[in-house]
Amino acid sequence: MKCLGYFFVALLISNLQSCKHDNLTMPVPNENIRPAADFIHNNYEMRLFDAALQKTGLTAELNGEGPFTVLVPNDLAFNEIGIFRPTDFDKMNKDSLRRIIAYHILPRRLYLSDIPSNSVDFRYATREGSELYASLGSLAPGATAPTNMLFFSGAKAIRKDVVLSNGVLHVLDKLMKPQFEKNIQEWLSDKKEYTVFVAGLKKFGLWDQLAQKGPFTVFAPTNEALEKRGVTASFLDGANPEQYIGEVLFGAYIMYDKHFFISDSQVFTIINSNGYYKYYLKDKVHYMEYFANEAYPTWKLSYNMRLRSNDMFNSIILADIIYSVGAKMDYLCSNGVVHDLDKGLVSPDQAIKKEENEK
Amino acid sequence: MKRQRILHCVSVLGIFLILFTACTKIDYTQIAEPAYLRVFNNINYVQTMGSKDDKVPYFCMLINPKTGADGKFTGAEIVGDFLDKRDPYAPPYPSHIGNSNSLSNPEYPGKENVLVGPILNGFDLSSWAQIPSGEVRVVFAYRPKNTVPFFELEERLKNDILIDTVINLQSKEVYTLHLLQKDFVKKDHGILLRQENFYKLPLSDSLVYVNFYNMSAKGFWEADANLKDDDYKLASFRHGIKDEMNVFMSLYESQEVLSHYATTVKGYRGKFMTTVKLNTSTNAVSPYVSFPLWASNKANGIRTDIWQRFDFFASGMNPVTNPFYDSDRNTGSNWAVLNCLLNGKVGLTSNENGTLLPNLLVNVHSGKDNPHTFATVNTIEVVNGRVYLTTIQRKYAPPIY
Repeated sequence: MKCLGYFFVALLISNLQSCKHDNLTMPVPNENIRPAADFIHNNYEMRLFDAALQKTGLTAELNGEGPFTVLVPNDLAFNEIGIFRPTDFDKMNKDSLRRIIAYHILPRRLYLSDIPSNSVDFRYATREGSELYASLGSLAPGATAPTNMLFFSGAKAIRKDVVLSNGVLHVLDKLMKPQFEKNIQEWLSDKKEYTVFVAGLKKFGLWDQLAQKGPFTVFAPTNEALEKRGVTASFLDGANPEQYIGEVLFGAYIMYDKHFFISDSQVFTIINSNGYYKYYLKDKVHYMEYFANEAYPTWKLSYNMRLRSNDMFNSIILADIIYSVGAKMDYLCSNGVVHDLDKGLVSPDQAIKKEENEK
Repeated sequence: MKRQRILHCVSVLGIFLILFTACTKIDYTQIAEPAYLRVFNNINYVQTMGSKDDKVPYFCMLINPKTGADGKFTGAEIVGDFLDKRDPYAPPYPSHIGNSNSLSNPEYPGKENVLVGPILNGFDLSSWAQIPSGEVRVVFAYRPKNTVPFFELEERLKNDILIDTVINLQSKEVYTLHLLQKDFVKKDHGILLRQENFYKLPLSDSLVYVNFYNMSAKGFWEADANLKDDDYKLASFRHGIKDEMNVFMSLYESQEVLSHYATTVKGYRGKFMTTVKLNTSTNAVSPYVSFPLWASNKANGIRTDIWQRFDFFASGMNPVTNPFYDSDRNTGSNWAVLNCLLNGKVGLTSNENGTLLPNLLVNVHSGKDNPHTFATVNTIEVVNGRVYLTTIQRKYAPPIY
């Protein structure tokens, strides 16, 4: 009986004891985590970005208090646009370089988990002042494990959530290419490689709209690409616009009311298992099937365009192209996106106007 | 001495008891004059490449929101967060809670832990939430699809309001609130508050009742196919149905024969039921039509295995004059088929064009019978390319094991 009494007393004590809360000792933060600029400086994969930071004088700021999210294109990404050593930056205008680098810095902490799942074109303010577009293909319909494919203005985050003492870092596989205030018309007219395309747009009355609000997605064919299809400057000089369907001959390169990064198709492949965009050209007859994916054997993100004479399954395929030079995609202009294209879609004889009764 | 010890023990036990009971505090929540409300998000468009700039239809519902000094929402009397597109099947009791680990709520109250409706005139209202009656302000705010509760989101994400309106709810009445897209081209949105009447009607428990609504957006069935959901499971409903359709019903004898050629119950093959018209503006309750629970002569009064197939035909057509092939999916919105069998996941093996929903009848263990088939009251709603089934069940006898 005495035993029982002691037992209850002991139970009472232990019961009371369990209510006691010791002061928790908080773990000391790891002081070896570096701030953003130091981390980049000490990482051999990011030497060129580091050089760009130093050249533009953003290093001190990135070692500051923050918080920052730094989107770092790795050296390979710089190599793809022809920058191999730090001195190559000297060829560039310092101010415009600074703007582009500042576009890769967000004045906030942005972890993968902060971005809404399956969001497309979710905008975040950058250090530069303009906004970038984040798209995250996380969950496929019916899937239980997330894919979490993340893109910033068309560039894929190949390493996510690198923790810094003053923020977070994501590694990109290519440079984001914002053109800021420049619209598509201004962007195209600056470039020597698209002179025939520009002349053609002008000739067929498609040029002026590219200065308007849009948005447009333009797949700009190079001069050589058009030449292979028989479209040259001399052809354009002699051509009679009345004879051709301009909306096919040159309009095939323009998507109206759309602003697609090439990665969008990849994101929608995850979100609703369908990355295709199929539409009629403005002549309401020709039919375009567009999609982009990372396909065998290179697994590089490539876009595919298939132009058909109409929407029937047995229609004539006028062009079926694949383009996979990631460095020349996703030029983000103020009224849309421009992508380079190294193959022509339509030759002049495929776009000859027919008489009404011939159709 | 012994007595003292016992006393000692008892007193220690007493202290022990007090310590334990002191830890328990029960707050009984109560709503004085409740109305019963169930909310569905019928805005069911999908994001495709062609419509990538459309907002994701994912909402937070705020009832009687409180606003701060700057006019922004700081809280609400009732919050229905993570309101996702509705599920094809709205079951008679909130089974979502036990069947999912996602925060997304296919309806309100759905997974929310709130006071729900009682058994009213025999009908189980456990899928309806209790809401204070009278005039209440309802706000539906767009929210990003993540796991952060609405009021913890970044400031800039809380300002995108789809609907901000006042609804009038009467005490002890049953309502369903539908969030709708009213115009597919202009992208107009709105709500429809429907005061249900099933609990006031003299409905027989040996008849199965169903009523139909078409709450599609105006202009959906005429719209271009690349703007529509590409889900092959929608079958003949994918392109939507015309604004006025006649509904015909067939009752099939057995859920084990997965074919639309199978034996039907005598007198129930392509039987005309009712006409359904597009309506996204008035809250009138469609009349209920019925069929007998024990229609099949194979039924034994406890269990029946019949399933339902509904044919929606544009006026002028009927199952006899049907000009389409059985497997035609693109019927110009003139014919759409709905098969209601099993759990709504098992398709027919015959070559046909029906979309799937669960059987209207409910089979549960009740009394000594396992299963026992019960008649229900159902609502079938067509919204754009999708069909939704809401089943309401009566209270039934508990199982005896």
